[in-house]
Amino acid sequence: MQDLVFYFIAGCACVFAVLAVTQRSIFHCALWLAMTLLSVAGVYFYLEAPFLGAIQILVYVGGIITLFVFAIKLTAHIEDKSIRQLNTQWLPAALISLLLFYILIQAFASHPWKNIIPNAPVTSLQVIGRSLMTGYALPFEFMSVILLGALVGAIVIGKVKK
Amino acid sequence: MIRMFLSGFACLGFIALSAMFLIWWERKISAIIQNRMGPMLTGFHGTLQPIADTIKLLLKEDIAPAGIDFLSWWLAPFFVTVPVVTAFVVIPFSSSWVPYDLNVGVLYICSITSICVLGIFMAGWGSNNKYSLLGGMRSAAQIISYEVPLLLSVLLVVMESGTLSMQGIVHAQEHGWFVFKPHLAIAFVIYLISSTAEVNRVPFDIPEAESELVAGYHTEYTGMKFAMFFVAEYTNMFIVSATAATLFLGGWQGPFLPGVAWFLMKSYFLVFFMMWMRWTLPRVRMDQMMSFAWKLLTPIALLNLLISGWFMLKV
Repeated sequence: MQDLVFYFIAGCACVFAVLAVTQRSIFHCALWLAMTLLSVAGVYFYLEAPFLGAIQILVYVGGIITLFVFAIKLTAHIEDKSIRQLNTQWLPAALISLLLFYILIQAFASHPWKNIIPNAPVTSLQVIGRSLMTGYALPFEFMSVILLGALVGAIVIGKVKK
Repeated sequence: MIRMFLSGFACLGFIALSAMFLIWWERKISAIIQNRMGPMLTGFHGTLQPIADTIKLLLKEDIAPAGIDFLSWWLAPFFVTVPVVTAFVVIPFSSSWVPYDLNVGVLYICSITSICVLGIFMAGWGSNNKYSLLGGMRSAAQIISYEVPLLLSVLLVVMESGTLSMQGIVHAQEHGWFVFKPHLAIAFVIYLISSTAEVNRVPFDIPEAESELVAGYHTEYTGMKFAMFFVAEYTNMFIVSATAATLFLGGWQGPFLPGVAWFLMKSYFLVFFMMWMRWTLPRVRMDQMMSFAWKLLTPIALLNLLISGWFMLKV
């Protein structure tokens, strides 16, 4: 029963992910991507990591996909049928993706998973907060500087020249 | 397992009843404020009016306009309704009546209701109608902007109580509601204003401003699809009010009466407050609304957060 739930959510994620890259209309692609990310959030909830799941929905579906949709709406002619889905480098890209897929499968298959699943670590918010402010303080601050840079860059690009 | 299903069904029943009651109540309040009678013919003082309206909506033909983007048009009502319904998972009706007390309840509500933006935009895009599209765009811009002060004011409550669980926040208010503390009172006002904008209500109902956009993003919807948008709007009103009651007004805590009664009284009072505002205030302009969110509400919320964080560290 429990496994069925997982397979259902994971299957949804895979199907939606395929749809997200094969659909012709780019608006539909964004919608299927949103569905994929929601399914991944569902997997997080299923694995009893509700914090991660909630953040996934808040950041990706509530924030990033909405920005995607805005960008699509504000870009002229992006919905045209004449826009090609593949560029000239599709063959090497496909080969590299297949290679990466093979490596990942090998890596996952060689790992002894069964020992880990029963004791999923119960991470409380306090633990996450404390580790962000002590052990991972440098990467955390680094991320905020990168985001600030992106913010300032967006303002500079968006500013109307007098 | 059985308990899970039962609480799910109870929540669904509650949502339907609450939406029907709120629609009747809104019409009555608007009538009283405008010195009219409101619905009077169906049942005692029109109490059966929502049932008649529901039957009417169920029987209506479901019209799909020409040139729609079928996928977005068809999925949009679900994208608006389902997140609102799933938000009920963490609403604490009383000390024992909560479907599932997630340890990140507040975050869960904020994140799950943010999916609605996508549904509104899909409705606007899919309808192949310029009014719908404008309404959808405005709504998305508005909801994203007002989410910032909303989350900042919720963050203050989390800092004060030290937990994200809805029940934990209620328990943290055993010795006084949060709204009586000065910095949290400011946060409460910010929360009320931005949640009114989040659910697209007057004075922030720019996305469906009927004098310029017909009905905004749900112009082209008929029958049950329209009813789903309607139910989602009223349920969303209840969700933000219930969240406000839990975060700031002590949730189900109160003397003499059982917890459920207190919780429902506080929540419905806040819903009433929203309706009261709707029939009292005029609509603001789009640019006024955006500059209000970014130039006034967000800085105040940030300053409030900074100053109260400093006090919390000092004391």
